[in-house]
Amino acid sequence: MQALLSKTTKPFLVYVLIILLVSVPVYYFVIKVIWMGELDEQNQIMAKTTEAQFGQLAIPENELKEKIRFWNQIQPGTYVEAIAPGSTVKDSIFTASSQSLNLADKTNDDFRVLVTTIYINGKPYYFRSVTNYEDTKETVAAIAIVSLFFFGCIIAGLLVINNRLSKTVWLPFRDTLSKLKGFNLNNQVQIDFENTNTIEFNELNQSLNRLVQHTVSVYKTQKEFTENASHELQTPLAILKSKLEILLQSDELTEKQYQIVEEMNKALARSARINKNLLLLTRIDNSQFDSSALIAFDTVLMQSLDMLQEHFEQKNIRVITSIAAGVQAKGNSDLTEVLVNNLLLNAIRHTAPGGSVHISLSKPVFEVANEGQQALDPALLFKRFSRFSADNNGSGLGLSIVQEIGRFHDWKVQYRFENSFHIFSVYL
Amino acid sequence: MKVLIIEDEEELAKSIAEYLSAENYLCELATGFTEAMNKIHLYQYDCILLDITLPDGNGLQVLEALKKENKTDGVIIISAKNSLDDKINGLQMGADDYLTKPFHLSELAARIYSIIRRKQFNNANIVKQDELEIDMLAKTVSVQNQPVLLTKKEFDLLIFFIGNKNRVLSKSILAEHLSGDFADMLDNHDFVYAHIKNLKKKLNDAGCGQHLKTVYGTGYKWAGN
Repeated sequence: MQALLSKTTKPFLVYVLIILLVSVPVYYFVIKVIWMGELDEQNQIMAKTTEAQFGQLAIPENELKEKIRFWNQIQPGTYVEAIAPGSTVKDSIFTASSQSLNLADKTNDDFRVLVTTIYINGKPYYFRSVTNYEDTKETVAAIAIVSLFFFGCIIAGLLVINNRLSKTVWLPFRDTLSKLKGFNLNNQVQIDFENTNTIEFNELNQSLNRLVQHTVSVYKTQKEFTENASHELQTPLAILKSKLEILLQSDELTEKQYQIVEEMNKALARSARINKNLLLLTRIDNSQFDSSALIAFDTVLMQSLDMLQEHFEQKNIRVITSIAAGVQAKGNSDLTEVLVNNLLLNAIRHTAPGGSVHISLSKPVFEVANEGQQALDPALLFKRFSRFSADNNGSGLGLSIVQEIGRFHDWKVQYRFENSFHIFSVYL
Repeated sequence: MKVLIIEDEEELAKSIAEYLSAENYLCELATGFTEAMNKIHLYQYDCILLDITLPDGNGLQVLEALKKENKTDGVIIISAKNSLDDKINGLQMGADDYLTKPFHLSELAARIYSIIRRKQFNNANIVKQDELEIDMLAKTVSVQNQPVLLTKKEFDLLIFFIGNKNRVLSKSILAEHLSGDFADMLDNHDFVYAHIKNLKKKLNDAGCGQHLKTVYGTGYKWAGN
């Protein structure tokens, strides 16, 4: 993972580097061609001037040889030598080292050479003009150094500019991002994206706005649906229940029919419970509960235990408690009661008669442990309507509610299996 | 005794009326807000059953009107909403009880019984039923001036039976009444039997007749006058 900035900067830098590397030989080549042309022209001019100067002087023939020797001495760049009358020297332009030319200059520099024929007093003479040009390596090195310098300038510039841009141009983007990060569908709070003058970001914000609005409204509708459906079901359930009870009072009822009514009553109680639990889950999801009360957790637990004691006794379950006094927690007392009841009822339901249940409450953790055969899958345990036992009496929502209440309060709810005990822990 | 049932769901209202009529209550029905307002204005009731969500108004406004007119009718809110806020609001506005749908008619009858007795006899809260004398406020029972010591649950159960006298109360109904919200989560309802056995024994020992009868194997009823 890379930041956007380094992602865009890197190709830029690579591109610049390539261009600069390619430019070095190109520079070198171009400069060389121009330079050679200039030098060759210089040599030509030299030949012309020499010829013209000798012509102007009109030196008598006998002195000419002496003068040419003198010329060659004071003008080391040129060399004039008599050749047989009527013959000419083939014109040539080439590059040669100082050694091959036997020059006094002993450096290993390269020279540009022009060999041609000039005419003095109507006689042909061999003429050679030699001009030094800078060593190739030095030229390339110089160009490379200059290029590198500019490359450095470009990198520094790019980094500085990009940094600036990221702080200003990308500011709205960062703002949008941080708002999205803070968005929680459950809070039902709309996001207001700030207006920017960047077309792309404005488009992004508009699209996000539409998306968020749509999601929030769909979510809301869904929740309202669950809540309304549950509410709407209460009335027909109430009618059914009342009719069954009137049926129960009928004088002609046989014992068999009474049993049927009883079974129906039980099923009805279960559907009413599922309905109520669904409603409760929705309302926890909607955060329709106040969570600022200070709850005496130990008192809530003792009350629940007191209320459920006869059911423990009924199944002959040994209850071993270790409850610290004065354990308090911040939250909603009704939900806390539901959480405690659900965990205790869960233990009653799933402990075999004659088994034992350990209940402990200390400062950070409330634990209910009941005897069991084998570990259960914690991923499925808290899932809505997933069942592990053959007993189908429950609503299938009890532990989901425990988990939701935990989440609502920021209490961690955990399950583990240890020494043949199912242990549910709530970290307050 | 007169009971007004304010409930827009006719079938439910009819069931309630049918069940209560056998209990010698005179029931009147109001299916809407306006009808209800007219009735409470004109008549005095011993108990009003009030559904909060009415098609043409909010049931809580009926409660407000009752309070304004200083009427002392007992009010039980019956609502599909199991919302604590509604419950607290309703009770603060002067309702005497709050029952969430779906409920058992026997549960409703027992609550009506208690409310009417509490309201009617104000200070001298003694209800006579067969050989029993029941103090509704102090929650004590005596037979021939001899107190019968009942636990809270046993007393509660007794009032439930007396509030539904001569009615069949099935085991599951009794379990729901006793354990409140979570009877259906218990796979065994035998705890009902234990409480009834204790209650029967205590009443017998005090010299009370055999009024608690077993019906259809697992149901019970209070047979009395």
